[in-house]
Amino acid sequence: MSEDKFMQVLIGPQHPGSGHMRFIVKMDGDIISEFEPDIGYVHRAVEKIAESKRYIQIVPLVERPILADTANINLGYILALERLLGIDAPPRAQYLRTLLAEINRIHSHLYGLGIHGIMIGSSTIFMWCFADREIWIELAQELTGARITYSYMIPGGVRRDLPNGFNEKLSKAIAYMEERLKDYEKIFINNPVVTARLIDVGIIKKDDAIKLGIVGPNLRASGVAYDVRKIEPYCAYPEIDFDIIVRKEGDAYSRVLVRFEEIKQSMKIVKQVVEKIPSGPIINESYLKLIPPKLREKAEQTGIWKMPAIFINLKPRKGEAISRVEAGRGEVTHYIVSDGSPNPYRFRVVTPSFRNLIAFKYTMPGHRLADIPAIYGSLDYFPPSADR
Amino acid sequence: MISLDQIIRLIFFPPIFITIVFPGLIALLIVIVFLIWLERKIAAKVQLRYGPLYILKPLGGVIQTVADLLRYLFAEVIIPRRADKFSFIMAPILSFGFAFIPIVALPISSKYFAFKSDLSLLVVLALLTIAPIFILIIGWASDNKFSFIGSLREGYMIMAYEVPLFLSVLAMAILYNTLDIIEIVETQSKWVWGILLNPIAAFVFLICTFMMTARFPFEISEAEQEIVMGPFTEYTGIIFGLCMSYSYIKLYILSLLFAYLFLGGWYPIVWPFTLNPIMPGIITLIKGLIVMIIGIFLRSVYPRFRVDQTLRIGWEGMFVLSIVALILSFSLVILVK
Amino acid sequence: MIPKPSTIKRHLEAIITGLKYIFVKNRLTLRYPEMVQLLSENYRGMIKYYMDRCISCTLCARICPADAIKMYTVGENKLPGINYMRCIFCGFCVDICPKEALEFTNIHDLAYYTREEQIQKPIEFSKGPPKPIFKKEPMKIVVKLDKSRGLKYERT
Repeated sequence: MSEDKFMQVLIGPQHPGSGHMRFIVKMDGDIISEFEPDIGYVHRAVEKIAESKRYIQIVPLVERPILADTANINLGYILALERLLGIDAPPRAQYLRTLLAEINRIHSHLYGLGIHGIMIGSSTIFMWCFADREIWIELAQELTGARITYSYMIPGGVRRDLPNGFNEKLSKAIAYMEERLKDYEKIFINNPVVTARLIDVGIIKKDDAIKLGIVGPNLRASGVAYDVRKIEPYCAYPEIDFDIIVRKEGDAYSRVLVRFEEIKQSMKIVKQVVEKIPSGPIINESYLKLIPPKLREKAEQTGIWKMPAIFINLKPRKGEAISRVEAGRGEVTHYIVSDGSPNPYRFRVVTPSFRNLIAFKYTMPGHRLADIPAIYGSLDYFPPSADR
Repeated sequence: MISLDQIIRLIFFPPIFITIVFPGLIALLIVIVFLIWLERKIAAKVQLRYGPLYILKPLGGVIQTVADLLRYLFAEVIIPRRADKFSFIMAPILSFGFAFIPIVALPISSKYFAFKSDLSLLVVLALLTIAPIFILIIGWASDNKFSFIGSLREGYMIMAYEVPLFLSVLAMAILYNTLDIIEIVETQSKWVWGILLNPIAAFVFLICTFMMTARFPFEISEAEQEIVMGPFTEYTGIIFGLCMSYSYIKLYILSLLFAYLFLGGWYPIVWPFTLNPIMPGIITLIKGLIVMIIGIFLRSVYPRFRVDQTLRIGWEGMFVLSIVALILSFSLVILVK
Repeated sequence: MIPKPSTIKRHLEAIITGLKYIFVKNRLTLRYPEMVQLLSENYRGMIKYYMDRCISCTLCARICPADAIKMYTVGENKLPGINYMRCIFCGFCVDICPKEALEFTNIHDLAYYTREEQIQKPIEFSKGPPKPIFKKEPMKIVVKLDKSRGLKYERT
């Protein structure tokens, strides 16, 4: 076999189907023989910047890498920080965190499903997903005041209480979504062209998935029932009943199905959260008493709480803390090392896309050029989140 | 002095009317403008959007394509340094031209045609198959890997659609016992429409039309997420406009051909318009438009197949079906005799 | 390759669903410059500054994660000014202000003609966010969630 037989195709970063990264693909005819994802195009040094920021200022910063799934990555950071500070959020805040995390999971999955749709050519599912994502963004905006970058969780609690009439809006949104998902099934999930494109494409076997360290829906699609929400429950998840969606096949289609079913599961969780939510404060007692009484009274009426001034100078004890959270795309790990100063000594975040990235290299070879977007979309890979 | 009467007679002189007015340039331009707009509008409707709206708002942005065309016209034509300049410029123009030429062989009615030939159906099909060769040249001339892959895909697609398309046409030719479009339509007016006589051939012809014109789910040679713009990746400005309209011209011609072969062409004609080319022309155009609209609607339903799957559909599905259509035609002919 | 009956059924289902949506009268597009969404009261939009309430505590400038808020010396006081080129609308400054001198507005149409306009010194900052300029007075709408249509835009 001479070297001339291969053609090197550079896909991206300026390519409609590549995202913010480059693939160095070696093609043998129409078959991929080598696939090298070349990451780092949108590296923004979030971890290094964090070392120069105060702890509270990192809250909006960690959201930036994963813009489609800000609530979950934020939650992970706050959990790690709370472990360092040695405080806990009150039960109502835990439920509110769960609520936003699940709303975010729904619109993160819709985002992934839509992008995958347009990658294999179905513009309809792309538009539908992005239109229906708007409903969940609208709900999240009602709760937090922002559309995407919520910065909702703060050490010891959350910033805002449930607004009036939220439950009613939520039940409307769920009722609408459940109807819509049936049409999604007809036009995309069961579409014969989609099944022809995705079934038996990009198979990650169970052993390989474990060996490579794939996380999130991609891992569950390979037959591993691993979900941080069940294995190491946080927030309100221990008290909530939901299933882990697992499929055995491990191909691109099963990954789509896992995401699709998880949307339904998330709606189930959200329903339970608003039913079970306990009353009480939404910020930890020790911070609550630092808020001026006049402002506290007003906050009790409006539900929009103020931050105590101590947040500028949060000085956790010397030590380190780690937290794991199941984000929409998979497990997020946060690691903070504190030296007792107001800035972290070292901050590290392992994002799900970073861990799923390795799957490209091992699943792509042997497939055709046209399968690159099909597999890429099915992994729900997000370059900024891997590059950080 | 040329009088008005002479001008009118010149315009309605069949070789000129057919190439310039209908089904030639003017009708083609209007149909393409309308079709691209309708394609975007239908997709928008299915996708809960508005689609083109702001250019000529009372009519829902119907001249959006004209605006786009103007934009292409004023955009700079960039020729890559490493491209083969002559082929790079000539290939799209020639592919456009060869896709357009078959129009001359399309009659408007049994008494109104540019030229009458025993083989006019074959002429149309033969001329249509020349155009894809220039797409292969584009891929070579652009010196871009995506253009190259795209044009190779186009080459593979020819393999997939050409044989079943010709066989399905052959099935109809056997049924009508002629290769002359005019006689085909006349035969249908005496009997029933071809689509009822041989629905299998009609189905094969329709699917192959969509394959040939890169409609979804067979939009493979231009698959944006895979190979940017396929063969036309390096093109800019008005030449890109030509490339864009190339597949629509083919869709237009093949849809008209479908109307002639399977939908009874210009019949039914109402009595006072028998000699006038307008009435039969409109009827043919409406029938053709229905086929085109089916083609553009599929965009909002389907993603795209892979190239190997399309080849499989072509050879294992359409080829077999076209053989079945042939057998059906033979048996029908024997049955009648 | 003979397709299974179930495949044909799925083809038909997809096409019928597509056809159905041609006749569904629902559009989720918000035609922005013509229709403007009236955002809810608790939206974290551009920030309004009440100079008379300010006690120059500098908390807002110190918490700002994007260095958008800076303290300026006005007379004898130090007062905050904002740089909207940097602002990320996290709203930390509003939440930490002990005297409610900063307040959210529901204006989010952040567009200026010049770069300099976006760096607002305390006096300009205290004038509040400018009213967005539209070529034609836009239709003000509120977004309602609906069981059958998802998002419904209602005129106010």
